[in-house]
Amino acid sequence: MRPTLNILTRSVWKGPNVVPLPIAHAIKTKTPVRTNARSCTILPQFVGLRFQVHNGKEYVEFEIVDDMVGSKLGEFAPTKKRWTYRGEQK
Amino acid sequence: MVVHIFGKPIKHNKLVSIGLAKGIFGIGYTTAARICAKVGIYPQMRVNQLSENQIMDINKEVSELLVEGHLKQKINNDIKLKRSIGSYVGMRHALGYPVRGQGTRNNAKNAKKFNRVERYKL
Repeated sequence: MRPTLNILTRSVWKGPNVVPLPIAHAIKTKTPVRTNARSCTILPQFVGLRFQVHNGKEYVEFEIVDDMVGSKLGEFAPTKKRWTYRGEQK
Repeated sequence: MVVHIFGKPIKHNKLVSIGLAKGIFGIGYTTAARICAKVGIYPQMRVNQLSENQIMDINKEVSELLVEGHLKQKINNDIKLKRSIGSYVGMRHALGYPVRGQGTRNNAKNAKKFNRVERYKL
């Protein structure tokens, strides 16, 4: 019914944005993958692995589950902290 | 002075396509015009001129689409899924902020009104 939703996405010939990551090594040793590539698409091969993704300050660690496939790594490492009033400081 | 189409009251003097678009959640002007063309209703026809058979035909066409409660349920579930996997989109919904990168220095009125984990009450 609404073809634009599918047309106005990334070109098919490019494929998903995938960055070379040490996946094979991580599966073998069960260590988290530390990366700065926030725009890397989450592939089905990543499910079950732990990732440490940079948020500009530190590496946020999370585990990949089935529903995350198709989104980007950076979506799960928030870069903003909610503002809170610190109270009176002297 | 109302005609019931798909269980929804639609005012008698509206154009059929506009009545469908306004009355049924999930149907806009384009979809409504397409339904009218498929059923065979001329564009200037008003709701009170519809015959029983035509209303039945429209009901049949509408029931094949994802509308009303089912659509609202789907939207709620999609937001809940985003929230449960801990993504940025789900977080912005929970906070009531714009989701797609808009600023929050001013305005963001519609986000405050609509963005929450359970968007539609059923």
